[in-house]
Amino acid sequence: MRRRSFVHLALLAAVIAAAVTAVAVLIPWLPVSASRERDRIDVTFWLATGISIMIFSVVAAAILYSVWRFRVHPDDDSDGPPIHGHTGLEIVWTAIPTVLVTAIAIVSAVVLHDNGTTVKNELHVKVTAQQFTWSFQYLDGPAKGVVSPDLYMPIDRSMKLEITSVDVLHSFWVPQFGQKQDAVPGQVNPLKITPTRLGTYPVICTELCGLGHSLMRRQAIVLSPADFAARRWAAGLPGGPTAAGAPPGQPGGGGSGKAVFAANGCAACHTLAAAAAAGKVGPDLDKLPAEAKRAGQPLESFVHESIVNPNAYIEPGFPKGVMPQNFGQTISKSALDALVQYLIQSSKGGGK
Amino acid sequence: MTAIAAEHGVHMTPAPPGPRGIRRLLAPGYVRCLWTIPLMFGFGAGIAALVRWLEAWHPVWNGTVITTISLATIPLGFLGGIGGFDYWLGYAIGRPTQPEDHSGHGARSWKDYFRVNTDHKVIGIQYVATTFVFFIIGGLMAMLVRAELAKPGGQFVDSQTYNSLFSIHAALMIFLFIIPVFAGLGNYVIPLMIGAPDMAFPRLNALSYWLLPIAGVMFASSVLVPGGGFATGWTGYAPLASHQPLGQVFFNMGVQWAGASSIMTALNFLVTIITMRAPGMTFWRMPLLVWANFTTSLLVVIATPFIAGSQFFAMFDRVMHTHFFDPIGGGYALGYQHIFWFYSHPAVYIMMLPGFGIVSEVISTFARKPVFGYRLMAFSLVAILILGFSVWAHHMFVAGMAPWLRVPMMVTTLLIAIPTGIKVFSWLATLWEGRIKFTTPMLFALGFVSMFLIGGLSGIYLGSVPIDIHASDTYFIVAHIHYVLFGGSLFTIFAGLYYWFPKMTGRMYNERLGKIHFWMTLVFFNATFFPMHYLGLQGMPRRVYDYAPRFAGINMFISICSFILGASALLFLYNMITSWVRGPLAVGNPWRANSLEWQVSSPPPIFNFDAIPTVVAGPYEYGVPGARHAIMADEAKTADSVHAEAEEVRH
Repeated sequence: MRRRSFVHLALLAAVIAAAVTAVAVLIPWLPVSASRERDRIDVTFWLATGISIMIFSVVAAAILYSVWRFRVHPDDDSDGPPIHGHTGLEIVWTAIPTVLVTAIAIVSAVVLHDNGTTVKNELHVKVTAQQFTWSFQYLDGPAKGVVSPDLYMPIDRSMKLEITSVDVLHSFWVPQFGQKQDAVPGQVNPLKITPTRLGTYPVICTELCGLGHSLMRRQAIVLSPADFAARRWAAGLPGGPTAAGAPPGQPGGGGSGKAVFAANGCAACHTLAAAAAAGKVGPDLDKLPAEAKRAGQPLESFVHESIVNPNAYIEPGFPKGVMPQNFGQTISKSALDALVQYLIQSSKGGGK
Repeated sequence: MTAIAAEHGVHMTPAPPGPRGIRRLLAPGYVRCLWTIPLMFGFGAGIAALVRWLEAWHPVWNGTVITTISLATIPLGFLGGIGGFDYWLGYAIGRPTQPEDHSGHGARSWKDYFRVNTDHKVIGIQYVATTFVFFIIGGLMAMLVRAELAKPGGQFVDSQTYNSLFSIHAALMIFLFIIPVFAGLGNYVIPLMIGAPDMAFPRLNALSYWLLPIAGVMFASSVLVPGGGFATGWTGYAPLASHQPLGQVFFNMGVQWAGASSIMTALNFLVTIITMRAPGMTFWRMPLLVWANFTTSLLVVIATPFIAGSQFFAMFDRVMHTHFFDPIGGGYALGYQHIFWFYSHPAVYIMMLPGFGIVSEVISTFARKPVFGYRLMAFSLVAILILGFSVWAHHMFVAGMAPWLRVPMMVTTLLIAIPTGIKVFSWLATLWEGRIKFTTPMLFALGFVSMFLIGGLSGIYLGSVPIDIHASDTYFIVAHIHYVLFGGSLFTIFAGLYYWFPKMTGRMYNERLGKIHFWMTLVFFNATFFPMHYLGLQGMPRRVYDYAPRFAGINMFISICSFILGASALLFLYNMITSWVRGPLAVGNPWRANSLEWQVSSPPPIFNFDAIPTVVAGPYEYGVPGARHAIMADEAKTADSVHAEAEEVRH
């Protein structure tokens, strides 16, 4: 009788395990892997999934079998057998989970170690997060000196990102790379990524960083080593080919106001038709002339002051203290002038 | 009049006539608040203005400073006004003490539930009713969050409002619902279960309750503050929290009031459980809910001061220009997270262990079997209590803390799966060969075991550092915490409320509505939260009001399911309210359960027992022929003989 119960239970557990395995395998739970680190994380993920399927099937089968087999009519006043425990059984279900979690812990520790190991010929990139954008500064390699708002990477070469923040906490994540690291003001946190697949992937901020958090997105672009070294992607960027010799942070040649606008992440919060920006956190920059009129200032000085001292005038309907107050320090004077002129030119048409 | 009531010299006579005229301004009550609140406000604001004037800081009358101080002084005025401090103040000014003063004990009419009351049964109901008010407010905020997320892009709230909505939702659900509703259920049930006439410190008990609505009003009303409500998530990470609009201070201070309430209640539980057990109620004869509240209370007392500290430091950074967490001033940004999680991880167990206790009671009662491995069940609670303090940094695997901390914290995190696993397997073994009856509390207990299993398994993924690095701060986390706190804690709260509803109200709830409520909740809970695992792994971060268009379909599905899930809560409230008003009268022990609270009338007499019962065996002796848990007073004559008989059966 009891033996037959256990046979039924085992059959039920097998059926559940098969169904759950199908769910685990047929649904693409993870995005495509594009880095060596993600491949290793996936090994841990599937180990945990295998163990979870085992435990889930046994427990779910026991519950379902019990409620089906041992249910009684509401008027049944009998009691169950007075079983108070079974030391052997209790030892078993203490020991088996101990073994399983130990296995996960060992594999995880190995993967964690491998994913943080320094390899030869690493490319170093300083990553600076701020509300609400990223800046990637290449410290060595063919793109040394380039400062980009997007992360360009050569395939199959290990990169060490040195991540920091100038204001609040942010977090760097590319789902296809699997790696994530918070950006913390006052410290530099390393993160290793070795891209293995060409393509463009989202860089997502995953630590709540204020009003523009949802919009703090850039891109990671994996290129062939030749394309990366050719630096065509860096054209127009500070430190890029057209501005050879210019120190980082300085604007490149003509049309540089637009580059300054892009490099400082203005688009995350502001709308500006000329830059294809559609942010809604801050005021619409296509309407700058009207806003300057409301503030009672000439357009040029209004735009300048609104960048370096954003709380001086707050457009009605927008909260105070959201826009970073340090652009006066982080953008050089010539770049700032270029940006102001760019904004004035772009907003003349009123966004049309 | 009962024996205990006579001993306490209390007379349940009609309420004495209330004070009239000018005396109403002096008697404890809401009328007295009319002058105590302005008095305390003026006191705090006056000191602030005086200091600023002496230091020549302008403006002398600073709104931020006055508001911050008022969040401490106005509640004190309120508590003084309603009479929370009267007894102690009287003692302090030398009035004769009345150790047996029971004037504030018991409820004669519904109005007594709105006054300071020292009866643990009244306080228990006050707690549960209040926490459900905040459950509704927090739930409505979740509905707004889901409405906003139904489609990508902004729908009808701006980003500040959205961030406040999910922040206040979480703060209310954690600090004003799950933690205190367990304190409320425990308040009602624990003294009854251990055979005590009340809690050890009834006046402290009353005060702990009245701190709670203060915290809730602070959280909920922060949306009315200029600049909007606090918008940093319930975690309120510095340095973001130090540069937020004024609403953030309402979070910092609300946590203090809720935390103080928790600590006082926990101390009360500890002293009650240690000192007030009935004769024969050894630790190894205590029901597992008592064990659970005992371990939970230890967690609360040890851990809660840390969140109080974290919120004070973050607030000081904001209003006093200190630099605890500000690297520019020499502070340590991650220090906030270390201090915060040193409380907030144990807080997860503060929100889980009482539920474990409830489920042990319910499953044993409705499977008509002793809890399997009772002692190991109690030991596993203690193991979780101890291990719970060694895992906080698993919330910080990607935070950039000292790298060596990651592996040890992963190991301790995974080790917690072992005592948790023991509990799940013991519940299953309790069901095995039982006589299972599907009452609503039993359905919720079984639902809990299943949902908590899923939440526990996703916890294994997150315990593994490499997987956590990928999944941290995504919707996978949102799924995980809701499986633990909704599928886990809330299911046990529902189980407990249905289970003790007859005891608390003296009436039966509607079983059919209860079952519909269970199935609606189970189905739409899973439909709402299970797909979030997928969203998170695929690349949707948490705490965003806008997301990639490719997630639009799933989010719309989740939103629709969440609205039905919200509607199921209304069904529960309807059942509770109508059954309380006109449900059929309940007998003393409708579930034929063994523990002490069921051996008295429903609801119990004012001092719980006619005379303190004598406990003779464990609480779960179902199926043991002739076994008894306790001998009640009216059987005292034959107590000795029954006791001997019970001992004989056991050996």
